[in-house]
Amino acid sequence: MRIHVDAARWSALPDLHELFAHRDLFLTLAIRDLKVRYAQTVLGLAWAVVQPLATLVILSLIFGRAVNVSTGDVPYPLFAIAGISVWSYFAFVLKESGGSVIGAQEIVRKIWFPRLIIPLSKAAVGIVDLLVALLMVVVLLAWYGVVPGPQALYAPLYLLAIILIALGLGIWISALTIRFRDLQHVVPFIIQFGLFATPVAYPCSIITESLPKWVQVLYFLNPMAGAVEGWRWSLLGVGDPGGLCWLSLGSGLVIFVTSLLGFRSVERVVADLV
Amino acid sequence: MIKVEGLGKRYKLGAPTAFDPRAGLMENIRRLTGGKRPDFWAVRDVSFEVEQGEALGVIGRNGAGKSTLLKMLSRITVPTAGRFTINGRVSSLLEVGTGFHPELSGRENVFLNGTILGMRRAEVRRKFDEIVEFSGVERFIDTAVKHYSNGQKVRLAFAVAAHLEPEVLIIDEVLAVGDVEFQRKCLGKMKDVTTHGRTILFVSHNMSAINSLCGRCLLLDEGRIEAIGDPGSITTRYLSHNSSGLVGEKDLSSSPVSPDGAGRFLHLRWTNTSGKVIDHVQLTQAFNLEVDFEIVERGYKPQPVALVYNSSGEIAFMTFPGEGDHPTQPGRYRATLHFPANLFNEDTYYVSFWFCTWLPHKVHFVLENAISIQVLDDLESPTRAPSHATVMGIVRPKLPWDIHPL
Repeated sequence: MRIHVDAARWSALPDLHELFAHRDLFLTLAIRDLKVRYAQTVLGLAWAVVQPLATLVILSLIFGRAVNVSTGDVPYPLFAIAGISVWSYFAFVLKESGGSVIGAQEIVRKIWFPRLIIPLSKAAVGIVDLLVALLMVVVLLAWYGVVPGPQALYAPLYLLAIILIALGLGIWISALTIRFRDLQHVVPFIIQFGLFATPVAYPCSIITESLPKWVQVLYFLNPMAGAVEGWRWSLLGVGDPGGLCWLSLGSGLVIFVTSLLGFRSVERVVADLV
Repeated sequence: MIKVEGLGKRYKLGAPTAFDPRAGLMENIRRLTGGKRPDFWAVRDVSFEVEQGEALGVIGRNGAGKSTLLKMLSRITVPTAGRFTINGRVSSLLEVGTGFHPELSGRENVFLNGTILGMRRAEVRRKFDEIVEFSGVERFIDTAVKHYSNGQKVRLAFAVAAHLEPEVLIIDEVLAVGDVEFQRKCLGKMKDVTTHGRTILFVSHNMSAINSLCGRCLLLDEGRIEAIGDPGSITTRYLSHNSSGLVGEKDLSSSPVSPDGAGRFLHLRWTNTSGKVIDHVQLTQAFNLEVDFEIVERGYKPQPVALVYNSSGEIAFMTFPGEGDHPTQPGRYRATLHFPANLFNEDTYYVSFWFCTWLPHKVHFVLENAISIQVLDDLESPTRAPSHATVMGIVRPKLPWDIHPL
């Protein structure tokens, strides 16, 4: 192994080789967070079920019964759980990785490793909850006797897109939080606002059928808008994954790629800042 | 093995570090209007090489740039100038127990700390039994670390660190905090490491540790290399090199008079026997503490009382002027407290003061942690253990021993 550091030369690209070399640390940090998370709770992993379930009940009552949102042939709870499962993951990653580097400052000040490991490990912890939520999707599919069509082959791709979008935003927030700590307080707001600006509880058609074009463009700049719509289409065959949804996916890609670059530039000075 | 060329680190003085929206905004305005913050080079133009299997000690006063240099070589912070190359697997130990999580068991923390220090999980698994045995906390290994005593935590953390197998070890003296037993174990293990052909970079204030461990020594002063070479001559040079002195005194002349109007302290300073202000002293040297004070109100017979603490906060002793002629008239006075040579141990000592009248007993006010001095070990010390083992105790007086055949 050879380490060479030169003040005059700095790569703006993340060093993937180094990142891979620290995979064990990534794994350990993720395991740590999982254990800490469930170490002192009575219900343990059951929380991963309770949270999406509660959201599902509320949305079903309000949007399914009271407002009576039209979801075509698909029963509303099934429609909603498809969106909730991935939205919960997205919210989790934003919350957890957002302040993660600041939260790890004791370590960051004392030892070097690729700092990207920190938000990445937080996002990995959320995978457990995501799997539980996906299991709930499967259960509801079986309950309503809905069999996904051939478009279900796209589901893993949409899931991947959602994970990358969550990661991209999470990494961006963790990088920015190092300089602007107030951003931590903005995250709950983004999540709350985002739930309404994303087709989780309602189909995209509500937006595309009633609002002017420029509002639609704004709406679909939200990367999760198109990703969630596409994800639900791949599972349930409802909605339209084309058109402006591509704008969402493009915006997601831009966020993910720039997050790596942005994080890299902050990583350089993080120990001097925290 | 390690090659450092022209390494430097510049900090902006007073620049906002953590986020403070107003300070950040002001900083931007300042930048726009062309104002500049003064620069400060914590490390400047440092070049040296370390061969494989060599142990290089780094010494210097507080703020000389030792920690910054170490942090750059550990890659925690990036240099502003220069470059360095290290060949081999590096472990840097700037702290023991980095990343320990109180909610997790000892077992889980061993894995956590081990991988943070750069071990693979498989490696930790392989050495796990050995680590636990070394730590001596086998019985509690599945207990959450928050239930451990401090000593147990440190022992477990050190056990992990001791089982790293780096080719290059960068180690800070903060490791040497903890009990004496732990320090000894730490130094012993480090000696093992060098004898196994590993390269070590070791920062310390402990001159005996530097002398016994390192083949070469580097003296930093104000961020630059002042000298590099044989540890014996470098440490002697460092110890005899008197400091610029401002740290060794404290001006209290603008402090208010005690609430009851009895008086106040004006100035505190450490001096050596030739009257020069000092902030550190070798334990073989005598030195003085000068206390200037003022009596303001008639009717009290106040005098300074000094309480001397070691760096762990244990009180070493309390001392005050004996019976006799104490000033009672309002006015300004200087009390000089003479400390003999060979009284203190190697440590930093802190002095708190009472301003106190004995009869009737009244403490007019208390000055906590008023001033401190660093007492350094001396190669020539008569109280030094021949094996370089740590001499325990809050004080280390030189006492006469007689040995006769019976």
